[in-house]
Amino acid sequence: MHRARRSVLLVAAVAGIALALVPVGASPAGAASGKCPVKALDQAKSKPVDIVMWHSMPRASEETLQRLTDQFNASQGDVRVKLLNTTSYDDTFTKYRAGLGGGDLPDVVQIQDTSLQGMIDSQSVVPIAACIKADKYDTSDFVPRVLDYWTVANTLYGMPFNVSNPVFYYNKLAFEKAGLDPNKPPATLEEVRAAAQKLVDSGTTKYGYSIKLDPWYLEHWLAKAGKPYVNNSNGRKQRATSVVFDTKAGQEIFSWLDSMVDDKLALNTGPPAGNIDNLLAIGAGNAAMTIDTSGNLGTILQVLGSGQFPNVEIGVAPMPGPVGKGGVLVGGAALYIPKSSSPEKQAAAWKFIKFLDEPASQAQWSVGTGYVPVRKSAIEDPVLEAAWAKTPEYKVAYDQLVTGVNNVATAGPVIGPYSAVREAVVNALTQMLTQGVDPKAALATAADKSNQEIEAYNARVG
Amino acid sequence: MRAERPAGVAERRRRRLRLAGRYLLMTGLALVVLFPIYITVVNSLLRPDQIAARPPSLFPTDPQWSSYRIAWTDGHMGRYLLNSAIVTTAIMVGQVVLAILAAYAFAFLEFPGRGVLFVVFLATMMVPFEVVFFTNYHTIADLGLLDTYGGLILPFLATGFGAFLLRQAFLTVPRDLRDAAALDGYGHFRFLWHVAVPLARPTVAALGVFAFLSAWGQYLWPLVATNDEHARTVQVGLRQLRDTSLDNINVTFAGVVLASIPLVLLLLVFQRQLVRGLTAGAVKG
Repeated sequence: MHRARRSVLLVAAVAGIALALVPVGASPAGAASGKCPVKALDQAKSKPVDIVMWHSMPRASEETLQRLTDQFNASQGDVRVKLLNTTSYDDTFTKYRAGLGGGDLPDVVQIQDTSLQGMIDSQSVVPIAACIKADKYDTSDFVPRVLDYWTVANTLYGMPFNVSNPVFYYNKLAFEKAGLDPNKPPATLEEVRAAAQKLVDSGTTKYGYSIKLDPWYLEHWLAKAGKPYVNNSNGRKQRATSVVFDTKAGQEIFSWLDSMVDDKLALNTGPPAGNIDNLLAIGAGNAAMTIDTSGNLGTILQVLGSGQFPNVEIGVAPMPGPVGKGGVLVGGAALYIPKSSSPEKQAAAWKFIKFLDEPASQAQWSVGTGYVPVRKSAIEDPVLEAAWAKTPEYKVAYDQLVTGVNNVATAGPVIGPYSAVREAVVNALTQMLTQGVDPKAALATAADKSNQEIEAYNARVG
Repeated sequence: MRAERPAGVAERRRRRLRLAGRYLLMTGLALVVLFPIYITVVNSLLRPDQIAARPPSLFPTDPQWSSYRIAWTDGHMGRYLLNSAIVTTAIMVGQVVLAILAAYAFAFLEFPGRGVLFVVFLATMMVPFEVVFFTNYHTIADLGLLDTYGGLILPFLATGFGAFLLRQAFLTVPRDLRDAAALDGYGHFRFLWHVAVPLARPTVAALGVFAFLSAWGQYLWPLVATNDEHARTVQVGLRQLRDTSLDNINVTFAGVVLASIPLVLLLLVFQRQLVRGLTAGAVKG
């Protein structure tokens, strides 16, 4: 009796799960195909054409985005945009995927960098390249590396909008005290190590450098070294099938981090990516150097402005790293136009996206948020010129995007299960730095785990 | 007799000392539990630069009530709280009423397939919500209920867990009572409302509070199923208050305080029922 009950229970549970797993609304049509009806706005039956944009900007940036949107709505009568805050990049992507196949979808959606392959695989967006071609839109003023990031198989899928990248933060006062030149921050890994040694030896700080366990180290430093992260030209020629970071260059990066911590020159402040303990370590005088996103600069300046860390004067410099034919990667998000919208709404979306990427808009956006402008001419805009003259630290993230070489490595990897790969890398870093796992073994484990994830993802999307 | 007296005093003193020690320990533990709540309230009243300061301020000497005003008006917290109250109350009432009816059938009625049906009810508890997430989304979309209270309530109206919990409570109702009620001419509904439910009241209350808590805390479903502040609930609203800059960090804290007030009130009102519900059945008699 009991056994019979249990098996009934099992059957019921399995049936429930099986029912729920029936795939819903697989999308038709090929990936790269897709027309962009840029002229459809002229044939709209009634104007303004109302469109909705989903975004994930936190409050302060949302205010700037709303201001730009208001300007756009007031400047013309064809299109009226309504913003919808979908609270975070991950949740936006979840909500977007739920809407595929007959649900609710927006007319413009802001999706983060790492979800690029996922958006392509959803086969649900009009490639921006189609709009650019149909509209004969000139992209020569865009920062090349930014366009490269969202280009896969020669097709630009999302329109770059908000861009940031990691920069080097250091305490100028500590540098002076240790006899280092505060105006000549280290540019290579050897120089970082030498500076850390000096900071520790002089007794200025307990450690020289503070490491937040972030997947950046491997991603950006390989890019700086000019080495790809995954195969098939970083997944740009065709879908990546394995990672290629388990090489001499990758091992050197892991070993460098490991030896810095082993030799007590660096303080490991651990994961997750959002923590600021690495910055607080500088405030507390435990370290004088770290790497963090340029997006944190505003908050850092605010905190320092409140006068509670009198021993810190923050300097911002390009991210140091291995020397090679490369540069730092692009981070941030792009705007996509879903195919599900009517032709006039797609045209309206394109018009709005063009407005958001105009040099003047990008200048305002950059001043309001700290993001890097995606247009070269935006930096000549008086608004941005004035802001950067006042706080030149903001310019560093832009400068490092336009220096170095642009190639497959600096375009950045395109990976389906990007977040799973990142998790594998951070786990490996944690094991290496806290449990004494050998750098080579840790990196090999990260590569194995990543390859399993990539294989499983590729099998799923076919 | 005389010799016993000092021993009695010593015993009493020892007992008192032990009691004092126990209270001291409990006070210490209570402080540990209450501190995060306390610091959230304090931070909601501090200026942003005071929050960033180290060592932290533990008392708002110059309370900034404006943070609550901003959360309420600019952050639409008033609207979100109202939406959450409507949706959560509907889910709670629906779950309790439907669970009572289902549990009654399983506990007191004889009908063919009762055992199998009950197992199917139990099986629904084994299917995590994430598994039926997309299916539910498309059902709600097809019904045209996206962006409405209905879309937020409907998928959560019935609960296998509640039916199971109440069935167990109803099974403890003595069979004699059922027979006596039948002799008095009580039909199913009168027996249910006048005998069974009053006897199972702690469990019913516990189920109600549990339903309220889980519905109040929902985040992903309301985010996906709604599109603006007209139907969005308080947890989604809270997420929107979040900020990477320090300017408004006190507003985020104010929002957190506002969102938890209904829960605190609920716990205060139902505290006794809840404790009784948790221990009900633990001891006989």
